[in-house]
Parts: sequence; C-alpha cells; structure tokens
Amino acid sequence: MYRYDEFDHQLVADRVSQFRGQVERRVSGALTEDQFKPLRLMNGVYLQLHAYMLRVAIPYGTLRSEQMRMLAHIARKYDRGYSHFTTRQNIQYNWPALDKIPDLLDELATVEMHAIQTSGNCIRNVTSDQYAGAIADEVEDPRIISEIIRQWSTFHPEFTYLPRKFKIAVTGHENDRAAIKLHDIGIVVKQNSAGEIGYEVHVGGGQGRTPFVAKKMTDFVPKEKLLAYLEAVMRVYNMLGRRDNSYKARIKILVHETGQEEMQRLVEAEFAKIDASDMLTVPQEEIDRISAYFAPPAFETLPAESETFTQAQAADADVARFVRANVVAHKQAGYAIVNISLKPIGGVPGDATDTQMDVIADLAENHSLDEVRVTHEQNLVLPHVKLDDVKAVYDALAAHELATANLGLISDQIACPGLDYCNLANARSIPLAQEISERFADLDRQYDIGELKIKISGCINACGHHHVGHIGILGVDKKGTEFYQISLGGAADENAAIGQITGRAFTEEDIVDAIETVVTTYTDLRADGERFIDTYNRLGMAPFKERLYD
Amino acid sequence: MTELNLVIDGAAAKNIWHYLDDDAPLTDAPSIITLTRLKAEADSLASRTAPLGVILHADGLGKTDQGEDVRELAPYIDQLALVALHFPIYRNGRGYSAARVLRQEFNFAGELRATGDVLYDQWAMMNRCGINAFELADNVSLETFQTALGELSGAYQPAADATRGALWARSGK
Repeated sequence: MYRYDEFDHQLVADRVSQFRGQVERRVSGALTEDQFKPLRLMNGVYLQLHAYMLRVAIPYGTLRSEQMRMLAHIARKYDRGYSHFTTRQNIQYNWPALDKIPDLLDELATVEMHAIQTSGNCIRNVTSDQYAGAIADEVEDPRIISEIIRQWSTFHPEFTYLPRKFKIAVTGHENDRAAIKLHDIGIVVKQNSAGEIGYEVHVGGGQGRTPFVAKKMTDFVPKEKLLAYLEAVMRVYNMLGRRDNSYKARIKILVHETGQEEMQRLVEAEFAKIDASDMLTVPQEEIDRISAYFAPPAFETLPAESETFTQAQAADADVARFVRANVVAHKQAGYAIVNISLKPIGGVPGDATDTQMDVIADLAENHSLDEVRVTHEQNLVLPHVKLDDVKAVYDALAAHELATANLGLISDQIACPGLDYCNLANARSIPLAQEISERFADLDRQYDIGELKIKISGCINACGHHHVGHIGILGVDKKGTEFYQISLGGAADENAAIGQITGRAFTEEDIVDAIETVVTTYTDLRADGERFIDTYNRLGMAPFKERLYD
Repeated sequence: MTELNLVIDGAAAKNIWHYLDDDAPLTDAPSIITLTRLKAEADSLASRTAPLGVILHADGLGKTDQGEDVRELAPYIDQLALVALHFPIYRNGRGYSAARVLRQEFNFAGELRATGDVLYDQWAMMNRCGINAFELADNVSLETFQTALGELSGAYQPAADATRGALWARSGK
C-alpha cells in the first residue's frame, strides 16, 4: 500500500490548517455562507437536513488496519458511534460539529487520511476495483495509476472550480467491479501487443437525471502519458462545459451535445499540445517508486487446498453458505478474498458501528496482511485471507453481525441515505431497502434467485445508482406522497447499461409486492442457469410489465 | 479613475490601465478593450504603438454560451501587453484554463490580470495558473494576499508557475 512521504504529510497538514482558518473566518463572519460553501465542500463538509456531514476519502478503497481503527475512533469521538460507507468508496460521518472538524482532520492526518476533494466541483476521490492485487488475471494493479492520478488531481490549480463535480474510476481487470463506464472518466488498464501497459479511456458516463454510459475516447494511452491525456480531457471540459445550468454541467452532457467524434478531436488536439511540451510525462523513477508500494504483499507459499477450510464447511452449514456467497478465489494459492456484507437483513446498507470497524481492523491486521477494502456496492473486503483462517474470520465476523452470506444477492442492495438524512431526497430509501431485505430474508430463497442487484435512490440525483440496478428503484414525490418507480435491466459492470422504466410508479404500500412480482416473473420464466439480468436481456420488458400492471 | 488595490508579481502596484467601453474613443493611454472590439478594429489596431490590453469574459449571455474563447486571441497576442480575465463569480473556473493557455501555449509574457469576483481562497490557484496581477478589494492588505499564497507549501503537479510538482521533483526531474 502507498505510504506518505514528507511531502504528502506536509500537504495534508497544510490543508487542515488552511481549513481551520476557513472555519474561523466563517465563524467570525469574514466569509459568508455562500463564500464558505465551496471551501467546505472541497474539504468534504456538507450541510445536510439535520447537521453537517463529513465525507472522508478512502483513495481507491484501500485501508490499512490502523486507518480502519482511526475511522472507528472518529465514529466514537466525533459522531454517534457509527458511520456510513458510500458508493464512492468513501466514508461519511453524519453528526460532527463544524468547529470540531479541524481537530477531527488533525487526527485523520496521523494515519495518512483526509477529506480533500471528497465534494465540490473538483476531481473527486479516485475509485477502483476492491479486488485489486488479489484477483487472478489482472493486467496490472489499478491502484498504481490510481495513486498517480490521486496525486496529480490533488489541489490541481486549474481544475478546482470546474463546471461540476468530476469522478474518475479505474479497473485493471476485464470484469469491471468499479463501474468505470458510469464515471466522468473511466479507465481500463490494458496491455498492447508490445507488452506495454497503457490505458483505454472512456469519457462522459454518469447517472443523475440524465444517465449515460461513457463513450470510448481512446484505445490506448501509454502509461507515462496518461496524466497529459487526462489534463487534456479536463481542459476541454473546463473551457467548454456548461455553467448556465447545473443539471447540464457534467461532462456527460458536453460529450452528448458535442458528439463522440468531435469530442475525441478536441481532446486529441489538446493532448497533442500538452504532450509536445512533455511537462506531464511522469518520470519512470516515480512510476517505479509508486509501483513498489503495490508490489504483492508477503504471501506464504501454501498448498492450493486447505483441509481446515474444507472441514469447516462440511461441519457447519452457515460457514458453507458464507463461503459460497462471500468468499472469492484469490490469485495466490492457499488464500481467499473474503467479502464482508454491510447489508445485514433489515439493516442500513453501508453502515458500520465503531465496534464493528474495530473488529474488522483486527481481522485485517491478523488475517489479511493488514488490508481492508471498501467496495462501491457499500461492502468491505478482507483481500488476503489464508484458507486456513477463513473459519476463524467467519466466527469473528458472525459474532458482530458481519457475516451475512448475501454478497451479490437480492438483499445486498445499494441505497442512498434518502430522506432520512439528505436534503435533496424526495423519498426514503433506507426503510425501503430494509423492507425488501426482510421480505427476502430467507437465504435459501436468495440463493435460488441468484445474482440480483437492487439499487435504490431517494431522488433523481441517483446516488443509489438506480439506473444501473438489475432492478432499480427511484423515489419520487407526487403532491407530498412518496412513490417508487421501478426500472429493469441496468448494469454497472463491463456490460454497463441504463435500466428501462417499467411504467407508472408504485405507492409505499405496494412497492415491495411489486418487487416480488418482478422476482417471481423471473423465476417462472428463467432458462437453466440464467441470472435475472440474462432473462431480462433475453425476454425484454414485456413479461415483467404484463405481470406488474395487468 | 478610481484607484485600484492592485498587486502585481506579489507586490503592491499602481494601475496604469483603463477599461474602455466599446463606444469610447481609443487614445494613446494604456487601454483594455473587449475581444469584440479587438477583432472588429484589428486593422487599425495593428499600427498602434501605445499599450493595448484586452478583457476576456468567462460567461456570456446566451443559454449555452461558453464565454469567450481564449484561443481567439492567438492572432493578436504579440500586440497585447495585458490580458484581463474576468471572473463573473469566484466559482466559475474557466479563467484558470484561459490563463494556462495564454502562458503555456501562447507563451504570453505580459500582465495577466484577474478581475471580477476574485477572493482570498482563489488567489493561490490563480497564481499557479499564471495570473500575476490581482485586483483586490479595498480592505485587503498585501500581507493577507501573501498569506493566502503561502497556505499550501507545495504541489503535486506542474502548472504555469515555477513549481515542478512532487511527482517530478521526487526523482529530481
């Protein structure tokens, strides 16, 4: 994992002290709320329905155990003993006091963490694959270029007041777990025929009220030139992106209105100029320095099979179910990737208590080579667990309600905070997620249904990713009453697609029944081995619509 | 002419420039004209020897107006001693890119001035993009300006100033 050098430490310290000054100027009245707003946002501080909210960055979703412990400490000391992992691999605290936030940031800085650019119209936290460095068949660990992008984009003087927020995601694997095609810029690590590493770049994806799958801008940018290419995209966007209407200000609208070919031409022209100056060509020594931090950790040489692991599953059906749903093959013999679902039946998606975070930190330290990952689907991962240790890890997780064996299943839902917290929401998301989770609580039924991703947003801003849910649910407000619209067929992976709306929305009373109707339509009509999304893609909307509305 | 609280290259400076309305006669006094006028009067301006500046607006009137395109200055750049970048509101950051294009694509060496809604927390970023002249509010001291510029002790990336950026500096590049 990347470790800060003196420079990184100093810059974060500078930012905390700068923010302390900004808070003081706000409190003294030297700054108006309007002038303070973009400053606090750029440091992750939102004003929500009930209180200030702080969003802390977890760059490309990777944490060390001491960092997870600090996040637990912050939840205890500055918040109400819990926190919320987001779809952008960040963590949010819902109740910190504004005047205490600088102290909180000082504490975070001691473990190389911060809230820099977790909000505001700037380049946000770079996200990536939670299985980076652990999954087989990766072209290259995507965290290497993610860290380079993190540094380049931090306090970028030209791109701090963009037309709108800007999100970059990277995958190093052909199975996209980072939803890169739903980002302003999505990057796929590639190897060319000469064996060199470079990047395929997609631009203009996004959700919100106008969802788009990103368009491919280039097949291959050499590694050392990627920053020049990104700077070219950003400059085109900063100069031409719309600022007259915040709903039309994302780069997806610019790409859509400009057209893919013309956008490519503009970016290539800008790239040629920047590249000619050579000023953004990253030195090989620095690429090597950063790459070294992501070298494989000290794996032991182990047999591919573990008797302990096999016996634990045979002896305990719960362990077997956990392994079946939450444990994924590791590239290293004798190891496994263990997913921790933050979607207990009836729970709040993505929430974790301070105690749970401490438990996970201990497990990471003792059983996962000190690493934890955060996923965009609001779960956590212990990426490097010995097969021999899986049972012990399971037991510790189970003792703290962290062993729900539902990864990728119907109760593993994404939900935005919704009307319970958010001042933009039209409807509640969390209670609906909880009801759906209760309705399908039976794990055997969930296994029978198979992979099915439900994603719930409380408003059109789509923070709950409803556009790309296999089943998407959007909360809408009609004359003061909450309604829920269903869409089907969305996907956030390498086959990214925007879901189609089924028809008229359902009331709060009817929505869970409607979801069940969609699910039984699928189980009635599926062919052997078909997942929900396969059946939908084969049959289309008609049979679902018929059952929902006739 | 009202006295401007002007800082150039980090020091207090006296303003010698006038912003000129499009219908005001152009004299030999140092004058800042609009892009529209610069283009319209290009032929007669070609022979001007007195200092000439232009103001570039980051916003426009039309619904999808992108503001004025800095690259339209290309044919005139050698005639210009000053470019004023107008920030209609501090959060409109189009001028930061315009500044970098002027400095790094056109190698513009004249005065690059920020005008409009130009506030404490934006000065340092503007400075890094090559803006070297700032029209400050009357109650802002030079010390305050210098404090703002020094809040961050370094940078990761190169821009239009002398800072090379840690991604390069670490390996001595």
